[in-house]
Amino acid sequence: MVKNITIFTTNTCAYCAMVKKYLDTKQHKYDVVNLDEQPERQAEALAISGALTVPITVVTKHDDTQNVVIGYNLAQLAPALA
Amino acid sequence: MAATDIPTHDVIMIGAGPAALAAAVYTTREDIDTLLFERGVIGGLAAITDMVDNYPGFPEGIEGLTLAQQLQQQAERFGAVIELGEVSEIIDEGEYKRLKTTSGDMLARAILIATGSDYKKIGVPGEKEYYGRGVHYCATCDGAFYRDKKIVVVGGGNSAIQEAIFLTRFTNHIDLLVRSKIRASEVLRHELDELVEAGKITVHLNTTTDEIVGEDNAVVKVLATKDGQKTEFPTDGVFVFVGLIPNTQFLAESDIELDEVGFVRTDKHLQTTMPGVFAAGDVRSGATMQIASAVGEGATAALMIREYLEGKLEPQSEHATEASVAQL
Repeated sequence: MVKNITIFTTNTCAYCAMVKKYLDTKQHKYDVVNLDEQPERQAEALAISGALTVPITVVTKHDDTQNVVIGYNLAQLAPALA
Repeated sequence: MAATDIPTHDVIMIGAGPAALAAAVYTTREDIDTLLFERGVIGGLAAITDMVDNYPGFPEGIEGLTLAQQLQQQAERFGAVIELGEVSEIIDEGEYKRLKTTSGDMLARAILIATGSDYKKIGVPGEKEYYGRGVHYCATCDGAFYRDKKIVVVGGGNSAIQEAIFLTRFTNHIDLLVRSKIRASEVLRHELDELVEAGKITVHLNTTTDEIVGEDNAVVKVLATKDGQKTEFPTDGVFVFVGLIPNTQFLAESDIELDEVGFVRTDKHLQTTMPGVFAAGDVRSGATMQIASAVGEGATAALMIREYLEGKLEPQSEHATEASVAQL
């Protein structure tokens, strides 16, 4: 079961909008970290994902295990939400 | 209706970029049941373009993402349904075409292929290894990671210049590596000249990118050949915009004819070699790779699909008559 979801985004990222749309269609709630508004959290995004890109979606389960999905990747995002 | 439990639609559009969204506006306004399948971003490459200045009707330009969202809203207002997923195969079963999709098999009386194109890779060492960690193809997605950094942009066409201009809002300096010469519009050239004058961008013509080099899991430099001489560009990241490649891999084994580069061949009715299957936008052989023309092709394809569904359009043929177009 999913405990919480955090998406790292920017204002101009179209793929971020797609991740949000997908989560909306699956009726998942999520928190957004907008790196344009909070550039100080870029290092956190990099540390979590190892990538210099958005979206980064962090899915935390109730047992506190985490799945990190880089980019708009339904093949990884869908099972991460299961 | 097909005598089956398989989901069946009048039209399935593969892709949800400007061509398909425009086509969907036309088909749905005529109550033609329309489903769009999108595996990537709704709006396609337009959605990840910073600013669109050459789409008619927006005198101050419009952000690509905003244009894409408005196209989507317009199509959905008339009843278009967009499903997120991927089509892997099209099979001609006569009156209906069968699509193999991530949501299972589906049937449609007509299909529009509007899968567009993606940015081409350069194909040099280091490019694949550092993808997403220093090598990028989407400025609007990844530019924010290069605040106050020095980067390299590869390419000399409209996309490369447009995105390099966008990236200057973050970066200290950009080295623009252009294989031959700048091939961008006058407006973009003018903006580029101003940024060169301001010291934000340095243009390197006749410069071939040879290798992207990293250290400690980060890109540190680009090796290149400029005017025949080996040279290096120290950098924190590389953005690549060197042309487009059609999204037609899923058609490789089909009966739908592609041109030598992989774009879909159509007749003057935008119909492919498989009857009832049409193509529009950047994926079509001969496309001009403009949002405005993709939208125009989408509208035309929708009208041709309507003709096809009404039994008024013949399979692809050199003998297709001018009259059938005039009757639209």
